[in-house]
Amino acid sequence: MNALVLPVVLPLLTAFLLQPAGRLSAALARWAGPAVLLVCAGLLVQIALLTGGEPVTAAIGGFAPPVGIVFYADALALLMAIAVPVSALLLWPRAEAGEAGVRQSALMLLLVGSGTGMALSGDLFNLYVFYELLTVASFGLASATGTGRAYVATVRYVLVSGFGSLIALAGIALLYAQTGSLNLAQLADLAPERLANPLGLAAFACLLIGFGVKAELFPVNNWVPDLYACAGKPISALLAGVVSKLAVLVLLRLTVLVFDSPEAREMLMVLGLAGLVTGELAAWRARDLPRLLAYSSIGQLGLLFVALSLPGPAGLAAALAVALHHLLVKPALFMLAERWHGSLDKLAGAGRASPLAAGLFTLFALSLVGVPPLPGFWAKLLVLLELARGAGPFDLTALALVLAVTVVEAHYLFRLVGILYSPGEFRDRHSPRALAVAGLGGAVLVAAMLTLPAVSDALAGLASQAADTAAYRTLTLGGGL
Amino acid sequence: MDMTFAPDPLALLVIGALGLIVVGAAGLAFGRHLFRLVLALGLAEAGANLLLVIAGYRWDAVAPILTGSAPAAMVDPVPQALVLTAIVIGVGVQALAVALLVRVKLAYGTLDLAELKALVERDIRAAAGIGEPDSAQAPATLPGPAGLIGERP
Amino acid sequence: MTPLDTLYLASAATLAAMLVLGDWRRAGVLATLMYGVQLALLFTMQRTGSTSFDLSALGFELSWRFDALSWFFAVVTLGTAFFASWYGAGEWLRAYTGRRRLFQSALAANVFAMLLLLGSGDLLTLFVGWEATSWAGFLLMALAGGLARDAALRYLVYAMAGAMALLGALVVLFQAGGSFSYEAARATLAAMAPGPLWALIILFGLGFGAKLALLPLHLWQAAAYSETPAPGSVFLGGVVGRMGLFALALVLVGLIGIPHLQALAVPFTFLTAQDVVAWVAALTVVLPTYTALKQNDARYLLAWHGIGQGGYMLLGLIVGSALGSAGGLLHVINYAATQATLLMVVFGVRHRVGHTDLNRLGGLVARMPLSFLALLLGIISLAGLPPMSGFVSKWMVYSSLIQDGRPFLFLAAIVGTLGTILSVYKLIHNLFLGQLRAEHEQLNEAPLSMLIPMLATATLAFVTGVAPGLVLGWVADAQAAIGLPVIDYTLGGIASPRASLDMLWVVGVMFAGFGVGALLFYGAGGKTHRVHQLDNYAGGHFLDAGMRYHYSDNFYAGLMHLIGGWYRGSFHWLEGAIGSGLSLVAQGAGGWYRAINPAFYLLAASVALIAWVAL
Repeated sequence: MNALVLPVVLPLLTAFLLQPAGRLSAALARWAGPAVLLVCAGLLVQIALLTGGEPVTAAIGGFAPPVGIVFYADALALLMAIAVPVSALLLWPRAEAGEAGVRQSALMLLLVGSGTGMALSGDLFNLYVFYELLTVASFGLASATGTGRAYVATVRYVLVSGFGSLIALAGIALLYAQTGSLNLAQLADLAPERLANPLGLAAFACLLIGFGVKAELFPVNNWVPDLYACAGKPISALLAGVVSKLAVLVLLRLTVLVFDSPEAREMLMVLGLAGLVTGELAAWRARDLPRLLAYSSIGQLGLLFVALSLPGPAGLAAALAVALHHLLVKPALFMLAERWHGSLDKLAGAGRASPLAAGLFTLFALSLVGVPPLPGFWAKLLVLLELARGAGPFDLTALALVLAVTVVEAHYLFRLVGILYSPGEFRDRHSPRALAVAGLGGAVLVAAMLTLPAVSDALAGLASQAADTAAYRTLTLGGGL
Repeated sequence: MDMTFAPDPLALLVIGALGLIVVGAAGLAFGRHLFRLVLALGLAEAGANLLLVIAGYRWDAVAPILTGSAPAAMVDPVPQALVLTAIVIGVGVQALAVALLVRVKLAYGTLDLAELKALVERDIRAAAGIGEPDSAQAPATLPGPAGLIGERP
Repeated sequence: MTPLDTLYLASAATLAAMLVLGDWRRAGVLATLMYGVQLALLFTMQRTGSTSFDLSALGFELSWRFDALSWFFAVVTLGTAFFASWYGAGEWLRAYTGRRRLFQSALAANVFAMLLLLGSGDLLTLFVGWEATSWAGFLLMALAGGLARDAALRYLVYAMAGAMALLGALVVLFQAGGSFSYEAARATLAAMAPGPLWALIILFGLGFGAKLALLPLHLWQAAAYSETPAPGSVFLGGVVGRMGLFALALVLVGLIGIPHLQALAVPFTFLTAQDVVAWVAALTVVLPTYTALKQNDARYLLAWHGIGQGGYMLLGLIVGSALGSAGGLLHVINYAATQATLLMVVFGVRHRVGHTDLNRLGGLVARMPLSFLALLLGIISLAGLPPMSGFVSKWMVYSSLIQDGRPFLFLAAIVGTLGTILSVYKLIHNLFLGQLRAEHEQLNEAPLSMLIPMLATATLAFVTGVAPGLVLGWVADAQAAIGLPVIDYTLGGIASPRASLDMLWVVGVMFAGFGVGALLFYGAGGKTHRVHQLDNYAGGHFLDAGMRYHYSDNFYAGLMHLIGGWYRGSFHWLEGAIGSGLSLVAQGAGGWYRAINPAFYLLAASVALIAWVAL
């Protein structure tokens, strides 16, 4: 299955060729990026159709793992891999003339290539390298608006990310010192005897903090609000949407395969709860929409980490439901914030000016709060049920916090809905593209609601496949183990 | 790794590497000048790289270069390859950070983080049309105006 | 297709019709007809129940069915919707300046959501219906904008807090019993240890109590109900809060059971869970009723009474005897008719005058006599006096409290009634009695489209007061559906050896008394002297028609001199304290993200920790 490598290699290659190509023809530079993304998405869909969701592996360069590096594509990885080029296509930066436009296209391609690589990699160091590539691409994209504040926000982002990366690197070093391998499958084999100790936990903590930067994990997420307030909204949408989910996917693989211990789960839950509570409370006091969304994104990802800390396929299904829901809703909301970027109080009248946008915002708000029968409710219900299953004082505290924070969330979201629909002076309308992206998100949301049984079956299948560590190991390392 | 005071050189190196990371983190935490923060990041990165090298180091082995005859004990080559990659990435990130610093200096004329925070906050507020920080601190109240209580004036 | 399917279809069709045709001039008439059709469908359905469709989602079964309890509440819901819609179908709608389609759709959505809630066949369905009802209610409350929006947002906070408490209880219950079905929940709850059971009771109480506006969750209700456009306010005030009672009846009585509540003691005291609920209900009767006394807006005054009357219903229900629970349930239907009448009158005045400020009205009896009549019947019923229906249900609750040996609760109920009588007198006096203000001299009676429904509901309240047996059958079936002892009723009232009541006799004697009085009066010559409304004296001075004399401001000054000190605003203080506390925490949370690099302190510390662990 070496076709699996193409969606990673093609964008990277194009990214580097784009600059010289731009000298030859402006049209080529402009259309090459989207075209390549289309091809990548098509390839990945084809692979998904061919395999029918069964996991496949590809050893790069023909070196067999654990020596060689490996790609592992199960349904979840493919889904995330498809989400990367598709999101990038939908959120492709507005075409700028000349150098700047070419540079942005190249950075987007870099981001897509490395993001796809992150989704598919089965090797920790590869993951780290793709993660770094993606980070660098996102630096460039975040500062692309060219305003002073965007630069300052990006510098803060660079510092936190840089520090996160080196902590992750330290974690990788600890892991390697303990096991002598970085292949996830082999790590899964070695984990019970080599990593069930404080040092293993320390390695997990390092990796958690490191990859947590992109996933907006609690202590390393204070770059989020300013960056989302200053960067272009499509970039914020991309970062909050698919990029954060890629980081979550890495952490998911790590928790499922390597660090499947109660202590690691507790750590995830505590940090998740801290993010949930601080994020939602900060959003409650936010005074402009981009920062409100940024804080609420921190809160939602906090909920995701709480879900990720739940054991078993049921817990994993809950986490995936929350992740996919957020992946769908948050980018759409950021696209709506493109024109609604001012003070919340000044948005009065926006509902009259663009009824579709206000309606979509209300729909997303309802789903985020978790109003049945919207998908957000079922995702939250799964999390709550799993928390109640644990029934320890710790789980019950988490349960109470998740429920309490939902009230706060409902209050600030519907305070805003109320403002949108009250009479006022606001007249800005959305660009057709922003509306189209948000509308697509809304349509998918409603479709998922209408086909809930099918969606839930698919979700359960996805979760049980992702939770199947034995299959991962045998497939990656061959039948010999 | 036990806590005996015997001069285990590997342990000393690990302590040194972790120490570098802690020093770098402290620099990031206490520093106010952006350029110093970037330097602190570099320091901490060196620590992380060192840690990775130590992870594969063997005290009495030769460098992992194939010379035809296989030596008895080689230093694990994988971490060294990894560190090379990490160093390259680190340099790239630092160069990018410094380039951004130049832009920041051009835009605001200062690299002091505390001042910059205030300036950016002011900028964001101005762009969003929100009032002074004082009004931003006003609580997003749950209870509404007095009329809501039900006792209308 | 079962009868319930048909009912749901009709209700959904009403919603769809209003979504499409809501802007049409005659949309109100159409909606009224469609509510009438739904009511007719309900009456053709068997009271004991009907099933409807099932759904399956994520491995959970959602099912809808009706039993006699659902049927009983559905009658009240659809009846109130019918009259409220009628009230708003004619001249009111023509004068309405808001968005008509939105309003009509919101009302239809409320009815549909409530029918879905009433039909829930398991706990998950119950939650879905609960949320649907809450959000439909939010829409109805918020759509007027301005003050209504703020009030609705406040409601939303309480409703969401309640819903989340409910959801917490449900997931815990699910994990204890492995299913959302009522049967499994009943078995699980029966076998549950006291500690968790208390937690569940408190969570359910918070969840359902928020909608019923039980203390201390009542602060949102008055403003939210009052600021809604008239027919919406009538509907909300008449029935929506009662969904909380329905759910409490279902869970506390139907699933946990009164005997179990009686056996569950509060640690270190002589109280049981039943006593706690009863006292919460009693406090809900007393405190909001006296808050109503201080209101200066007729709508708010009535809305505060709505909170207190909810307390009576729960008080009767939780006593658990045949008499008490029948009284509590009967009060639902009686109160709906009463409150609908009163609100229709008040909004009729608002329609004509433009406001409902009790300090700026008076003497309207001269201009709006039929409205006055409806209001008079309504307040007699609200105060619980014969011959109106409010008397019957309150009498049943009082009797059951005495029979059950609960004198203090009885006292609380009486104190509540005293407050009711005082405040409804203030209502009728400040609106209709005294002297007409000069600016109101040209007023007309409320339009016919508003008069007919208000007189109809007043008549209903009278008829069910004279012959409560007409509706006691529904109540008895509802009691049987949740396992309560069933009331033994006759057409005129209750046939019980310990406390029987025959309203036919009571009313007969009453009117015979009136007749005797009339005979004596007219037998003595019947000398009458007609006095003009403006014809009076003050302090021995003749006041001419130019000097209007109507005492309304600072009503009950003497009483307030005695009890004014008891109004402490403790619940507002509590609400404010929670809000401010949360705000403080939120400020801290925001500070974390505004601070420069707090993460690094943490990380440096953790790396140092790791180094220590590693070595």
